[in-house]
Amino acid sequence: MTVATQNRKLSWLAFVLGLPLAGLGYRLVDLQVARHDEFQALADRNTVRTFQREPVRGQILDCRGILLATSQPAKVVCADPTLLGDYRLDAARALAPLLGVDEALLADRLLPRLIVDNGKTNNSQYVALKRKVPVETWEKIKAAMAHLCPGIDEKKLSKRQRTSLSYLRTKAIFADEDQIRVYPGQRLASHVLGYVANDEELTGLNGIELAFNTNLCGVRGWRKTEMDGRHRELVKYRDEDVAPRDGLNVVLTLDAGLQNIVESELAAGMEKHSPISASCIMIRPRTGEILAMATLPNYDPNHPGAFPMEALRNRVIADIAEPGSTFKIVVVSGGLNERLVTLNDVFDCEHGQFFYANNTLHDHESFGLLTVEGIITKSSNIGAAKIGIRLGEEKLWEYIHRFGFGERTGLPLPGEVAGIVHPVRQWSKLSIARIPMGQGVAVTPLQMAMAMCAIANDGVLMRPMVVSRLEDPSGRVIAHYEPQPVRCVAGPQTISNMVRALKTVATREGTAVQAGLEHYTVAGKTGTAEKSENGHYVEKFFSSFIGFFPADHPELCISVVMDEPRDSHYGGLTAAPVFHAIGERAANYLNLKPDIDLEPPVNQTLTADGGGGSSGR
Amino acid sequence: MNDPSLNENKGPYDWPMWLAAAGLMFLGTAFIYSATSAGVLPLVWYKEIYLHQILWCALGLGAAVGLCSIEYGRLVRWAAVFYWGAILLLLAVFVIGVEHHGGKRWINLGPFSLQPSEFAKVAFILWLGGYLSRPREELRTGKVFLAVLGYTVVPFILVLREPDLGSALVFLAISLAMMFAAGVPGPMLGGLVGSLGLLVVLAVAAIVFLPQQIKIVEPYQKTRLMTYFGRDKSRDKNYQVNQALISIGSGGLTGKGWTQGTQHSLGFLPSAGAHNDFIFSVIAEEEGFVGSVVVLALYSVLLFSGINIASQARDHLGQLLAVGVVTLLFCHVFINIGMNIRLMPVTGIPLPLLSYGGSSVVCSLIAIGILHNVHIYRRSY
Repeated sequence: MTVATQNRKLSWLAFVLGLPLAGLGYRLVDLQVARHDEFQALADRNTVRTFQREPVRGQILDCRGILLATSQPAKVVCADPTLLGDYRLDAARALAPLLGVDEALLADRLLPRLIVDNGKTNNSQYVALKRKVPVETWEKIKAAMAHLCPGIDEKKLSKRQRTSLSYLRTKAIFADEDQIRVYPGQRLASHVLGYVANDEELTGLNGIELAFNTNLCGVRGWRKTEMDGRHRELVKYRDEDVAPRDGLNVVLTLDAGLQNIVESELAAGMEKHSPISASCIMIRPRTGEILAMATLPNYDPNHPGAFPMEALRNRVIADIAEPGSTFKIVVVSGGLNERLVTLNDVFDCEHGQFFYANNTLHDHESFGLLTVEGIITKSSNIGAAKIGIRLGEEKLWEYIHRFGFGERTGLPLPGEVAGIVHPVRQWSKLSIARIPMGQGVAVTPLQMAMAMCAIANDGVLMRPMVVSRLEDPSGRVIAHYEPQPVRCVAGPQTISNMVRALKTVATREGTAVQAGLEHYTVAGKTGTAEKSENGHYVEKFFSSFIGFFPADHPELCISVVMDEPRDSHYGGLTAAPVFHAIGERAANYLNLKPDIDLEPPVNQTLTADGGGGSSGR
Repeated sequence: MNDPSLNENKGPYDWPMWLAAAGLMFLGTAFIYSATSAGVLPLVWYKEIYLHQILWCALGLGAAVGLCSIEYGRLVRWAAVFYWGAILLLLAVFVIGVEHHGGKRWINLGPFSLQPSEFAKVAFILWLGGYLSRPREELRTGKVFLAVLGYTVVPFILVLREPDLGSALVFLAISLAMMFAAGVPGPMLGGLVGSLGLLVVLAVAAIVFLPQQIKIVEPYQKTRLMTYFGRDKSRDKNYQVNQALISIGSGGLTGKGWTQGTQHSLGFLPSAGAHNDFIFSVIAEEEGFVGSVVVLALYSVLLFSGINIASQARDHLGQLLAVGVVTLLFCHVFINIGMNIRLMPVTGIPLPLLSYGGSSVVCSLIAIGILHNVHIYRRSY
C-alpha cells in the first residue's frame, strides 16, 4: 500500500469527519443567531411571571357606620388533572362532600383534558372546581388531600411513585384567591344594596353595588417577577410590584335602625292586609336624604338567585301607577299658589255625582258643600276636579312638572323610571277633571314621596339622596354628597296653607285618623287608586298614605304604599296604620322632640323630665 | 530513523493539539464550576465538583505521559490484556455495577465510580490496531473480517445490555473506521454498512411503531427515541431536550456571561445533567454562539491534528491507532453536541475533556496520549 493511497484514505476520513462538524456549526448558527429571539422568549417564559393582585371590594355602610355589605377572603378551589392520575376517583370521593357537589360530576371535571395553546396541544393543568369557597372549607380540603389513600404502604413504592403520591397529596388540588360578598343584614335594605355577580371581581348587578361598581371595585395591581424551576419566586428579580388599590367604601344615608323598623312594620302590614307588595320610603324632608327604603317582597342579596324576579325589583323607583288622591296636593297647591282659590273657598261637591264631559265623576261618599281645606280633609274627587278646572290645563301641567312628575328624581340607583305625564295637547276633555284626583298620570312612589317632601320643606323640591359619602379603606372622605335643591314649587303662604289643610287629614274628620301620632302632629294625605287593566278600571286598588311630622317642623316624611290590599282598599285603613306604627317607633328611635303638649304624668317627681317632654309647641 | 531526537525540524510535541486539549480542559473546569455553583452552597471545599475535575485532568495527563514513555509498538503487545481485562470489567458491571439515570454502567470504588465502557473503548482501539496491522492480503480474507466483527460485537453487546446504546454504537464506528483505514476491501465494508443501516432502520421502525406490549429495548430508550422522532408528546421526556435547546438558543451571539446562565441555575436544565452530558448547553448559554464556535474549533483542531498525526505515522499500526482515537473523539463530540442541539437522540455520551467524569476525562487524555505517542515516533521527512 502506497503512502499516496493512505493519504487519500485519510483525506476521505477528514472529509467524512469535517462534514458533520460543519453540520453542527450550521445548526448552531440557526439556533443561536437566527432563532435567538424565539428561544430568548422561551427562556423568559420559563421564569417571568405576572400575577394579578386583586383589590378588595369596598364596603357599604349605613349613616352610623353599620356594615351592610362587606367582602371576605375566599378561595377558588382548582385541580391539576395531570397530577391526579389513577387517584381521580379517590380525590372526587374525598372532595365532593366538602365542596357540596355531586361526586360523579366532580370526577368528570377531574378528567385530564387537552387544550390547544399557540397551536400546541397540551394537557390542561388547571380546572376550577368551585369558586367562593370559604377559607375554613379550604383548610378542610387541604387536610383531606394530605391524607388521601391512607392504605398505601409508601415503603413499597418506587421513588417515582412516592414523588407522584406526594404531588397528589400536596399539589394536585390548589387554590386561588377569591373574595366572597357578605350582606350581614341578610334581607335588610336588599333593594337599595343590590347584589353582585358570582365572578372574581364581584361585579355589581343591581342597586348600589351596580351604581357605584367602579368606586367599590378598586383598581387591580400586579406583580411581575421571576420564578425558578420549582416555582419559587426569585425576589431579587421582582421587577414591578404595584399594590392594588382597594375599593372605596360607600356610606349611605340609610339608617339601619330605621330600615329595620320600616321593614318589620311593613311586614306586619303585609301580614294583615296581604297585598301583592308593600313599599315604604322614609325621607328627611330638609335634605332629601332617604333614611329607609323598603319593598316587600324582598330578597336576600347573599343568594339573589334563590328568589323570583319580582322580588328583585325595587318597586319604589321602578314601578309606576296612578297615584290617586295623594296627587290632589298638586292641584290644591297650584290653585292656592296662583291665588285662584283660598282654603276657605267653598265648592259644591254635587253629592257624589258630577257630570262632566260626558262622564260621571264619583266621590267615595256623598259631600255637599266643602271648603278647599275640606276637600283635602275628606279627599273629594269632585272638589279636586273643580279646582283643576278653575286652574286650567296649562297651569295644572306646569304644577305637575314643578313637583317633579314626568322626570326621574335623579336618585343614584339603577332602574328608575320617569313615569307618564302626557303633554297638554294629548289631553282629552276629561283629563282636566281626572288628573287632579290622580288619574291619567303614572308616577313612582318615590316621586310622590318627594312631592310631599317639597311641601314639608317649605316648598323646595329636593333631589333624593341615598349616598352620603365615599371613603377610602382608612376612613378618609373621598367624595361628599351635598343635598341638592331642584326647584321651588310654591310660595311660603301656599305651603303653610297646604300644611294646615294636610294636618286635618289625620284627625277625626279626615280620611286617615289612624295615621295620627300621640306626640306629634301629622300632616299627610291618603290615596286610594283603582287600578286599570286594559283601559278599564277593575276592583283592585293601590292604597297609600304619605305624611310628615312634626307638621310645622318636619323631621320625617314617610310614604307607605300597598298594592292590592285584600281586606280593605282605603289608604286610610291600610297604609295609614302602618304609617302610624313606623312613625311612633321612628320618632322614638330618633328621639324627636314632640310638638303636642302632654299632661305631665301624675305623681311625676322628676319635673325636669316631665318638663322636657312637654315643652313642645 | 526511529530515534525521535533525529526529527530536528519539529519538536516532540504537536503544539496545536495539546493547546486545544488544554483549552478544552480549562473550559470544562470553568463551566463545571458555573454549572454547579448555583446548587446547594455550603459544600466543603474538597467536595467541589470542579476541583474533582482538575484532579481527573491531572490523573489523565499523568496516565498519558506514562503511556508516552512506552513506544506504541511495545504497548500494543499488551493489547490483549487490556481488551480482555476491559471485557471482564464490562461483565463485572452486570454483577456489581451501580445504576444511575436508568443505566447500570458504573462500578463503585468507594470515593469515585468507574465507567468500564470508557476504558473499553481505548483498549478496543489498541487491540484492533494490533490485530489489523497485518499484511494486506490477510485483510482480504473473510476469516480476519469475521474475527474483527466478533471482537467488535462482544463489547458492543455488553455495553448495549448495560444499557448504553450510544457507547455501543461508538464501538461499531471505531471498528468500521479502522477497518477502512487498514484496507479491508470496500465491498466487504459496504456490505457491512449496508446491512447495519438496514438493521438500524428496521429496529427504529419497530421500536417506534410497534405497540407497547412488544418490548425490544428498555422503556427509557424507547421514549428517548420516540421523543427524537417526535412521537412522544409527554412533557417530561421532551422537557430535558427542550430546555437544553432553550439554553443554547437564548445564549444568542455573545451569551449571558459566565455563571450568569439562568436555565441551569434556576433548575430548568436538570442539575443532574448540566455539568456532564449537557455541559455544552451551559457553555452555549453563557458564552453564546462565540463560545460554542470556540468549542467546535478546539475540537476541530484536536481532530484534524489527529488525522495529521495519522498521515505522518511511522507505520501501519500508528496510523490505525490515530484513526481509532480520532474516530472515538469525533463520535463523542458529534453525538453529545448533536444531542444538545436536538440533532441526535438523548444518549449518555459525555463530551471529551469538557463533561465532568473521571472515567471520561482520563480515557480521553489516554487517547490523546496515544496520538502523542504516535506523533513522537512519526516518520521524519
